[in-house]
Amino acid sequence: MSSQSAAAEAQAADNGKQSKQGRARNLAEWSQRPNLPGTHYLDTRVYTDPAIYDEEIDKIWNKVWLPICHESELSAPLDFRTSGVAGTKPIVVVRGADNKIRSFLNVCPHRGNIVMRAPAGNLGEGSPSGNPRNMTCMFHGWQFDATGRCVEIPREKAGYQDRLCKAQMGLRELRTEVAHGGFVWVNLDDNCGPLADFTGNAFDFMATELDTVPLEVFHYQKAVVRTNFKLWHETSREFYHDYLHYHNRATGMLQKGYFDRKYTAFPNGHAATGLTSITYDAYEGAKDRGLTFPGMPLNGWKQLNIFPGCTYSLRASCLRVSVMTPISTDKVLIEIRGFGLKEDTPEERRERILDHDTIWGPFGRNLHEDLLVVQNQSIAMREGSGSKYLVMAREENNTIHDEIGLRSYYEEWSRLMGRLACDPSRRSDE
Amino acid sequence: MGASREMAVQQVHELIYESCLTLNAEKWNDYLDLCDKAVFNYSIVNYSPEIRRDQCWMERDYKGLKSIFDLLPKHNSDRSQLTRHATVYRVGFDPEQNVANALTLVTIYRTQLDGINSHFESGATSLFAVGKYMDVIGLDAGKANLKKRVVALDTRQVDIGSHYPL
Repeated sequence: MSSQSAAAEAQAADNGKQSKQGRARNLAEWSQRPNLPGTHYLDTRVYTDPAIYDEEIDKIWNKVWLPICHESELSAPLDFRTSGVAGTKPIVVVRGADNKIRSFLNVCPHRGNIVMRAPAGNLGEGSPSGNPRNMTCMFHGWQFDATGRCVEIPREKAGYQDRLCKAQMGLRELRTEVAHGGFVWVNLDDNCGPLADFTGNAFDFMATELDTVPLEVFHYQKAVVRTNFKLWHETSREFYHDYLHYHNRATGMLQKGYFDRKYTAFPNGHAATGLTSITYDAYEGAKDRGLTFPGMPLNGWKQLNIFPGCTYSLRASCLRVSVMTPISTDKVLIEIRGFGLKEDTPEERRERILDHDTIWGPFGRNLHEDLLVVQNQSIAMREGSGSKYLVMAREENNTIHDEIGLRSYYEEWSRLMGRLACDPSRRSDE
Repeated sequence: MGASREMAVQQVHELIYESCLTLNAEKWNDYLDLCDKAVFNYSIVNYSPEIRRDQCWMERDYKGLKSIFDLLPKHNSDRSQLTRHATVYRVGFDPEQNVANALTLVTIYRTQLDGINSHFESGATSLFAVGKYMDVIGLDAGKANLKKRVVALDTRQVDIGSHYPL
């Protein structure tokens, strides 16, 4: 063998070795689509493209049922709570004198001012420019009752004669239902189906825990986080990232049965992880949970993700519900609530709060880690950064590290958007 | 009694400022050395006008706080430094019990390290939180120690939160 052919043979052998062992990729290789079905990877433009974001607001957030607050935040007649949905739409939720909870766009029909400014309160307290029991726009004193009717226009006849009157100027009411543990859900689409059609049977495996006795909120926190809303929700939909959390590794992943936990996808993009048992005392300084919810075994954990951005996570003694409001491609408002049972004794409530904060409080162990990651993801894949594709290809027989939760999300996303998540420039019916 | 009260106030001031310095320097064991091992209770609380309730975001005894510090190396944390600037506004002293109560206003800044995009942001300082320390301080045997610290936050949006106590 000549020295030349020996060198070529050695090079070929080296190349073969590289292909088995892998190596860093050049731009062309980096830019290639993953060799996976289109359902198993994403084009990062779904997170970064402003046109896609606008379309998401229009085709998803303006159309689906969204939980916005809990009935215990409006426990007395005339209590109100302000909130917002679907980008920047301000909402006010009011419990009427008839005890019915209604919600309205929190915008005065006169000159577009916010009507109710405080985060919460009771209409009986009145305001500097309005009568008690009504919602008063401070700008010109227009007043609306708890059913949304316009009940006062100062100097109405003098200014509008017979051309405009109170009866025509009510607030814009939103479809509202209270369900699934007492949450207030709204839908901006007047023609939407009932909430039950949207959630289907997704809540069935958690219904006993949520709806046997009334729940009560004990924890509320919010943060505007610099990330795309989907990235935040995805951290709740895939458990492979338990590697991120020492707490979850110690109390879950290293424990028997962890990898048997089942993952179930439901219609309309919802997905749930079934019951598992957590060994809380495997985390130094922690102890087993002494409290639970009706029907829930001690130390159990169930989680349900509701499309497009809500998570119910029930960890033995406390329920965490996170909801989000997208603000832009790289900004999202995250709201987190913690719940116990309304009938809790003060001692029981304290224990639930301690358990909740250990993991999910702003100074807890897991939430901080999740938020760190989703911000850094958002930095890494911002438009022009060079990021191209993300994979969601783990298949493990629908168990805990299977990425079925991500794939089912994007299946629904594609259906509503009419775009493919793996190539959003293409229509999904092509 | 006057001198005794003056001395107590001086000890309280020194303890509170030392507690800030140890936390700022992330000398967790030095901070714990300032606390009464038997009774220390630490909590972070606030009032939420959203749900119209007082709420507690963290509560630990001495042992629980020590566990948090011991486990920090195992967690993925934003390692940006938190700097506590404190001013003691009011000290009450009970000479019978040798116990003082102190009200301290505290402002906490965050200097970025690796929380987000260190290329752009490391070294930048921003306001993280404002609030109060409400301390109960023992003054037995001439040594001041923390029996209880309540961090009452005015700030209710703490960005991505923190693994460190405030």
